[in-house]
Amino acid sequence: MLVNAYSKKVFNMAYQFSGSAQEAEDMTQEIFLKLYSSLRKYDFARNFTAWLLTLTKNHFIDEYRRTKWEKTQRDEFNDQAIAQDAFSGPERSLVREENKKLVWETLDRLSPEIRMTVILRDIQGRTYEEIAESLSLPLGTVKSRVNRGRLQLARVLKDRQGEWT
Amino acid sequence: MNDAHVEELLSAYLEGGLDGSQAANVGRHLASCPDCGLLLEAMKDAREALGALPELEPSTTLLRRLYAIPEKRRFRLVPDFLLRPSLQPVFASATALLVFVSFLAFSPGGRTFQKSVNRRLHVGYSKVERLYAKAGALTDEMGSYKETILGSLKNVKLLKKGEEQ
Repeated sequence: MLVNAYSKKVFNMAYQFSGSAQEAEDMTQEIFLKLYSSLRKYDFARNFTAWLLTLTKNHFIDEYRRTKWEKTQRDEFNDQAIAQDAFSGPERSLVREENKKLVWETLDRLSPEIRMTVILRDIQGRTYEEIAESLSLPLGTVKSRVNRGRLQLARVLKDRQGEWT
Repeated sequence: MNDAHVEELLSAYLEGGLDGSQAANVGRHLASCPDCGLLLEAMKDAREALGALPELEPSTTLLRRLYAIPEKRRFRLVPDFLLRPSLQPVFASATALLVFVSFLAFSPGGRTFQKSVNRRLHVGYSKVERLYAKAGALTDEMGSYKETILGSLKNVKLLKKGEEQ
């Protein structure tokens, strides 16, 4: 069943991209509606996950361009994973938590195209080749976008770390 | 190798994607440039933070909405092509026409309107019939004059010949 297999993936991608759980729920529903109505067009020779990813990406970018997502605030970052880091010491754990929060908030500053490649590479752990196939982009463009996105995030972390020291 | 060049290669360096000599050049630059060294550390932290962002479970409400989509489609009574937005004006016009026709057929006001339209049509038809009868009479009259006019023309020709001789 498609919902069992892909709802979590699509929902999390929508959440990481938009930063809002409410927005992500609406987008997930719209993507599944599109998915069911486009199933007839699916070419069985193609990788289904890559095809779904293309559909999802197109929806995100279209939606972003249509609404410009006037909302500037992402949902408050809330992570209970702090307890899992306890073995590495409370100080390091706090830094990691702070980094996650900063990175989460800064994702919104990346352009939708760059944000998408960074999410696919560093959050979803896809290979550059997979990303290039699903976004229909040359491999070099994907690598360059990922690097630009990471640099933007790294500069924010570096500046914040500079303020602490 | 300058800072900008190193920044371009930072992701590839971090992921071990550079060839031996390029990696050595970047490594040498990083050892001598504290700013780029800090950027590399911040990029590592950003990747770690992205990879550690928690995954959310889709809410039961969302799942219920998603499970309902295929059922909706399965039990759809209307074929998909009839639901195209481009056909909406056609359906709207057809509905307006049906409302108008039923108003004429079933409401007392509609019947009065129908009678007045019928009367007007009848009067218009009688006028056309009368006009047609007048036109017929005029044609007959013209036919009776035809012979006289032709005879006169012959006499005029004969008179002209007599004068010439």
